Amino acid sequence: MVEHDFRNFFRYKWWLVGLISMNLADLFVSALVYNTILKLSVRSEIGSYFNFFAPGLAVTGLFASAFMIGREVNMERRREVHHYMLSLPMARWELAIGRVLSGGLRGMMYMSPLLLTCFIFVGFPTVWQLLLILAVLFLLAVGISGLSISIAASTSSLEKFITARGAVYYVLFFCSTVFYPIQVIQSAGPALATLAEINPLSGASDMIRSILLPQFFKNFSYLSILYIAAFSAIFTSTATFAYMKLIERA
Amino acid sequence: MRAIWFVSQVVLFGVIAANMVSVPDYFQYYVAGLSVMTLYSTAIFIGFDIYEEAEHGVFEYLLSLPVSRRDLVIGRSIGGGLRAFIYVGPLVAISLIVIGAINPLNFAVALFALFLFSFGISGMSIAIAVLIKSSDRFDIFMGVLDAFIVRLSTSMYPLAVIQGTNPIYGWAANFNPLTFAADLFRWGTGIEKIIYIQNPLLSLIGIVAFFGLFTLLGITIYERMIEGGGWR
Repeated sequence: MVEHDFRNFFRYKWWLVGLISMNLADLFVSALVYNTILKLSVRSEIGSYFNFFAPGLAVTGLFASAFMIGREVNMERRREVHHYMLSLPMARWELAIGRVLSGGLRGMMYMSPLLLTCFIFVGFPTVWQLLLILAVLFLLAVGISGLSISIAASTSSLEKFITARGAVYYVLFFCSTVFYPIQVIQSAGPALATLAEINPLSGASDMIRSILLPQFFKNFSYLSILYIAAFSAIFTSTATFAYMKLIERA
Repeated sequence: MRAIWFVSQVVLFGVIAANMVSVPDYFQYYVAGLSVMTLYSTAIFIGFDIYEEAEHGVFEYLLSLPVSRRDLVIGRSIGGGLRAFIYVGPLVAISLIVIGAINPLNFAVALFALFLFSFGISGMSIAIAVLIKSSDRFDIFMGVLDAFIVRLSTSMYPLAVIQGTNPIYGWAANFNPLTFAADLFRWGTGIEKIIYIQNPLLSLIGIVAFFGLFTLLGITIYERMIEGGGWR
């Protein structure tokens, strides 16, 4: 199952090149420009915006690529490829879990060059720290893949899927600490700050920052990792259930 | 879909980012730029229609119509631009209310410039779509182009800031049609604090040149590429 999904993933190699270009433009153009117009109070909290944003960029890339599995599931639903899937010699739950895991692994693979770029410019972690980062990001990637499959299984057309993806993307990203520190979100509204704190994207970005930039992010709460684990567990189960229902219904 | 994206960018990114940067009235500045960015990304969509028409045989029907190919491409550019304008119109109206636009005369000039900008983008999208001939490659190319054209423009930050960050970025932003459109739109709102241009005529000339160039390019490329089933 994983091999099947990885082969599909590499069919989109030029699409991935485009996606990486966009991500790098975010880092090397937007982040550098925003760095020059940061308020002094924000600068004293985060240092450089470029360094602040680099871990967020890895999470952005992870989200975009892990979410791609949903697009394929949606397409398979419309083209009735699941008949072939059902003919494979494996249990349905294995099939479903395999889809979720391969979506997560693809996210990790795509995110690797972005994470490496982050390490090159911000600093390298120790081996144990790296393993922790990879483990947490994998948990997040699996959760995102599950979320994507859950949406794909419950939307009948590609347009609806893309609409839902856009809504999820904007709410999850703009209400997280991927683009701005939590103090800035708090000044915009306490409700937004609460949402940002439990947002798994915030947890993953802040964990990398706390490792690479400990002088600015020493108050990282490891409770965030629990939120990521909960997000991953909820959406892996939902996706497994939704995917099994999808192929049984057909 | 774009309305959801637009609103979430205004109420989440716009509000929060305004607390992070030292640009005065950044919220108003960003919302005005966002309107132009949305217009740009909507006008691009005409390129995808070209592929869909080729796939479904509509292209042959269009070629059979009693209009010259030149008229056809001009019509497509205007149609694509107008469609984007109508689509983004309500969002632009909301953004004007949100930021409190005050000068109707300036705004009429800016609106005219945005029309031309929108036609120019449609012409550009048609020219690229006909040249590339694959919807996947077009999607990728436009994505990459979008990444640089939006970020290297004044739609999100003022020109002086871009120039201060990197002179090459500043140079690129200086000749970017999105910069002309965003600056003119802000000038059109009449809100002093978000106007960074000294001479709006230069931006207007830039947009007219962009519109002329890409309409001409669109016509030339379209005419050459469609002969002998070249759109397939």
